[in-house]
Amino acid sequence: MIRFLLRRLGLAIPTLLGVSLVIFVTIRIVPGDPVASLLGPTGSPEARAELTTKLGLDKPIPVQYVTWLGRVAQGDLGRSIAKQTDALAYVWEAFRNTITLSLFAAVVAIVGGIALGVIAATRRGKVASAISSGLSLFAVSAPQYSVGLIFIVYLAAGRGWFPTGGMRNTTGADAGTTLDLIRHLWLPGISAALVPLGIIARMVRSSMLDALAADFVEALRARGLPEWKIRWHAFHNTLPSVLTIAGLQVGYLLGGVIFVEVVFSWPGLGLVVFQSISQRDLPVIQAGVLVSALAFVVINLIVDTLHGLLDPRIRR
Amino acid sequence: MTATQLVGDDTADTPTDTAPGDAIPAPDGSTPARDTRPSGTVKRRRLGWPARIAGGVCASFLLAALLAPLIAPYEPLADDRSNRLQPFFSGGHLLGTDGQGRDVLSRVIWGARPSILTGLIPVFVAGLIGTLLGLVAGLGSHRVNTIIMRTLDVFYAFPAVLLAIAIAAALGSGTSNAIIALSVILVPPIARLAESEVARIRSAAFMEAARVSGAGWWSIALRHVLPNAAPAIVVYCTALVGLSIVYAAGLGFLGLGVAPPTAEWGLMVNELRQFTFSAPGISLVPAVVILIASVAFNVFGDGLRDLLDVKGDGR
Repeated sequence: MIRFLLRRLGLAIPTLLGVSLVIFVTIRIVPGDPVASLLGPTGSPEARAELTTKLGLDKPIPVQYVTWLGRVAQGDLGRSIAKQTDALAYVWEAFRNTITLSLFAAVVAIVGGIALGVIAATRRGKVASAISSGLSLFAVSAPQYSVGLIFIVYLAAGRGWFPTGGMRNTTGADAGTTLDLIRHLWLPGISAALVPLGIIARMVRSSMLDALAADFVEALRARGLPEWKIRWHAFHNTLPSVLTIAGLQVGYLLGGVIFVEVVFSWPGLGLVVFQSISQRDLPVIQAGVLVSALAFVVINLIVDTLHGLLDPRIRR
Repeated sequence: MTATQLVGDDTADTPTDTAPGDAIPAPDGSTPARDTRPSGTVKRRRLGWPARIAGGVCASFLLAALLAPLIAPYEPLADDRSNRLQPFFSGGHLLGTDGQGRDVLSRVIWGARPSILTGLIPVFVAGLIGTLLGLVAGLGSHRVNTIIMRTLDVFYAFPAVLLAIAIAAALGSGTSNAIIALSVILVPPIARLAESEVARIRSAAFMEAARVSGAGWWSIALRHVLPNAAPAIVVYCTALVGLSIVYAAGLGFLGLGVAPPTAEWGLMVNELRQFTFSAPGISLVPAVVILIASVAFNVFGDGLRDLLDVKGDGR
């Protein structure tokens, strides 16, 4: 198991290098001359040359990449142009709120997806199956911003059943408590969860159907096991593949959650990135993408480890 | 041409089509009914009714985009400050008016043009690039394959939307930059599918025949492999259109697409969401339009996928 883990960790290194290379490219494709934009139109040729050397732009691109990578490894992603603070620290602060929202959404997606998928697989030919299959297809297709706005109009605004946005109340009896946080989590959490929920549901359905068609199910049935126990055995067999897809989906949550955060004014990474877009605060956007990609790699590593624990066959 | 092809079906080799009389359970757990047709014929598969309805909806969206100047009741940019936020069905405004008194229905119809184009073009571009990469990787040496496929793997380390946002933000907002960003993120899944299709075809007997008869790389790739891989790739690309439209509108929503006052669905969502309290119905119109388009394109693409039994990679 230790060797398996070490090998997985080793495999993450080229991925991380690739990620850093892609982000470096997104920095380089910014149109325009960075020296000119920093100096303005009045910069003298000497000042230009001096700044070019200072920024390291006179060196070959591979050297620039290595220099940049060295800085990134030390946590230096440049300064936010709009906030005049360290970009990474600024993004990290917001990212903690994104983790809260994503974890909540992940739980909703996994629990809901498994429930919907199992219903669709075990009630074949019945109305419940058709409804749950249709629901999962709908969930996969539902854009997060559309769902979020529909929730706000029908469940929050006017009705007052849920808050329309934000993360915590500043006034009121339960302001700042966990209960208050959970009340704020429901709508954005479900909006972010729908797409992964639908994908997990479809995955559970198809692997549950595969498992139910396997020979061992016939053997269990011949031994006279009650149907629910047979289903439990079949379900157990779907877990490794469900886990893999669920892990991947939780990673993709980090992308979709941006729209949810904007719609619900959730003070997370997505809202920060959104505000940075209009201000063209590129260091913050790059830091945001880097942090998300890192989180994505870490999630995949955790999922692989769990997969290895659940299914000894893949440890080799 | 074989008998199965004459019957007009290209799904003969799918695992669900067991030979008549064989009681092998299909992968979905059901036992196929005994078939009385002569052996060698295959049941002609059709699109189910949900996929057909969805196809109709997709077609009407495309038609609306094409015929926008003819069917839109008003100019999409004509504002009328005295008629702000009129409710549905009032004064000839079927879907009401927005915060500047512009007719929402006309803006939805005109908005279909940039919204659908920014969704379709990336799929098309990524389809071409992805297919080419898949061909080169699938037919190239082991080393070429490793280089291409491992490079594409890097893109799987990002949530796709985030990467699109980073690219579009770096290039600056605008439709063409949004299209570039979306094309980049759609290439890896298409190339993966193309590569696996090519790998499947590579081992076919007719490939050996082509090689023995001295066909060159391009001839093999274009005349033997591509025609066999194309159906699966086209179907997979169709299934990606819904997703691409949602992402395109998402970029518009974040301010990375067209510039105001142009009508575009994603931008409209953002413009109208400030009226959640004062005009809740109108504020939802573009969001619901995108939702309908997304569901329609996905159901249609899914139907096609089931018909041809193409597997994607779960995005």
